[in-house]
Amino acid sequence: MTMLLAAPALLLIAVVFGWPMLRYAWLSFHADSVLTGLEPVANGGANWLRLAADQRFWLDAGQTARFALISVSLELLLALAIALLLHQRWRGRGAVRALTLLPWALPTTMMALGWRWIFNTPYGPIEVLARSLGLGSLDLLSTPSITWLVTVFADVWKTTPFITLILLAGLQSIPEDLYSAFRLEGGTPLQALRRVTLPLLLPYILLSLLFRLAQAFGVFDLVQVLTGGGPAGSTESIALYAYLNGMRFLDFGYSATVMLAGFLLLTAMILAGTLLLKSVGLLRPLDR
Amino acid sequence: MTLQLRAINKRFGERQVLHQLDLDVANGECVALLGASGCGKSTALRLIAGLDHPDQGSIRINGAEMVDVPAERRRVGMVFQSYALFPHLNVWDNLELGLRMRGGSAATRDERIRGVLEVLQLSGQARLRPSQLSGGQRQRVALARALLRDPLVYLLDEPMSNLDAQLREDLRPQLRRLMIGGEQPVVYVTHDQQEAMALADRIAVMREGRIEQIGTPRELYLQPASTYVAQFIGRPQMNLLPARDGVITGIRPDDLRLDPAGSPCTILSREWFGANQMLLVRCDRGDLRLVCPGETAIEAEPRISWPGTCEHRFDAVSGRRLPSDRLPSD
Repeated sequence: MTMLLAAPALLLIAVVFGWPMLRYAWLSFHADSVLTGLEPVANGGANWLRLAADQRFWLDAGQTARFALISVSLELLLALAIALLLHQRWRGRGAVRALTLLPWALPTTMMALGWRWIFNTPYGPIEVLARSLGLGSLDLLSTPSITWLVTVFADVWKTTPFITLILLAGLQSIPEDLYSAFRLEGGTPLQALRRVTLPLLLPYILLSLLFRLAQAFGVFDLVQVLTGGGPAGSTESIALYAYLNGMRFLDFGYSATVMLAGFLLLTAMILAGTLLLKSVGLLRPLDR
Repeated sequence: MTLQLRAINKRFGERQVLHQLDLDVANGECVALLGASGCGKSTALRLIAGLDHPDQGSIRINGAEMVDVPAERRRVGMVFQSYALFPHLNVWDNLELGLRMRGGSAATRDERIRGVLEVLQLSGQARLRPSQLSGGQRQRVALARALLRDPLVYLLDEPMSNLDAQLREDLRPQLRRLMIGGEQPVVYVTHDQQEAMALADRIAVMREGRIEQIGTPRELYLQPASTYVAQFIGRPQMNLLPARDGVITGIRPDDLRLDPAGSPCTILSREWFGANQMLLVRCDRGDLRLVCPGETAIEAEPRISWPGTCEHRFDAVSGRRLPSDRLPSD
């Protein structure tokens, strides 16, 4: 009976997730490009061997991981601070809460275009400001060592509100009585943050980490619009590389391989992270 | 007097929650604050604990002014209706948390926790999380935490409201043994008159931020100061007859008697409880609740009467008790 009731949901997952994954897996063992007349031709593990030796892929994987880890860490810290602030009672809090969410409501493409103009050389306001301060030209979007930080900045700007929202919900789920009891036990507000708030917020922190890491690791639209992967490929992500292989080079077999490899890397990362958290006992508060 | 509240005013926005509240609780005395929800009883407790700040007034514990002492330094042992146990800590850690924050050696801590777990029969549950405990066990952990606080005053905020009737009866003797009648004053907030009667030395019936009447359970039962108190204390509720010449007459259901010479009435409903039974009857003066022994045979159209000495008389407009020369104790 349970299975029967769950069947529609399972079927949906199988169709929209299981089938494409299997199709990708199948395709990754085939050559399917202009050279084969866009017909899949089995080529053994040639795609995977090519991937293992593909420096561009591994460079992109490193860049993607760096982007995901740093932007999600910054988002989490910022969101925690903002959520704690928005959880306090003060005049005008409701309006500020609504405003805080705005960046997240903006379509990524629009916001990336906006930032592209703001950081533009030589016409963007940042550039104009830097020049008027005598700093010279910053070339924010054409300096490989800096441009990836601009993508991190734009991502933090856009998705911090999302984590804030989750953490705010978490804060509101903690009963007020617990704080009262903690105070009467002799605890200060700072101790309450460490011993009550953070442990009880942990499930929400992990949930948002999971959501955001998966999303950031698959980053595509932000990079595509803001930098196009440049300069010199310094902001190219795995998803962008897979897209280029498929849509520009019309090499669908290899594109599927890159996509699948990215997915496997992400899964491995999340698993490793979970095991790490478990080994240091951080997940203990979740076993109820 | 070790706990002393004087002229406490508290307002939340537009609503005056407490008006000029005065309260004295002696060492070892248990005073119950009894009233419907929203009457201000929980607010009064939070003010004593320091969780809220009064707009005006004075709160003294052992003569020392407490109004500006922060809650964390007030030394009150509070038991919450929700128990307020930390869900991410096991029973032992829940109890140790406060002791640890307040300092002291690890050896004394262990000894005290072990002792209090023993007394409350929780030794076997020390390593369990609150979510793994029954309601009664959680409540006992909350009591244990309050005991370990070494408080100057105990504050109990509806500590048994979330328990079933059987458990409440089991826990009352424990409460009396551990907290009530010791060194400290006890303030017990409840909306359950039976609990207040069973545990408190004195009951303060509260209404709209004021104490309507304060006295021993006996005083409140025998001489309720208003129709409000009369209906709150004693079960089944006192019968209040419709006003006549500006006077409401009240009669306790157990003061009514079946009397062949009395006035005729019809039975609306009958509830049998074994030792006694309750009848709802309609007579010319209105509908009345009547309690009589369970074995009494009831006729289809009984006649009832009551001794005039048992009448309580209240002013129809103010609801206040009127002096009555017929009650010898008045």
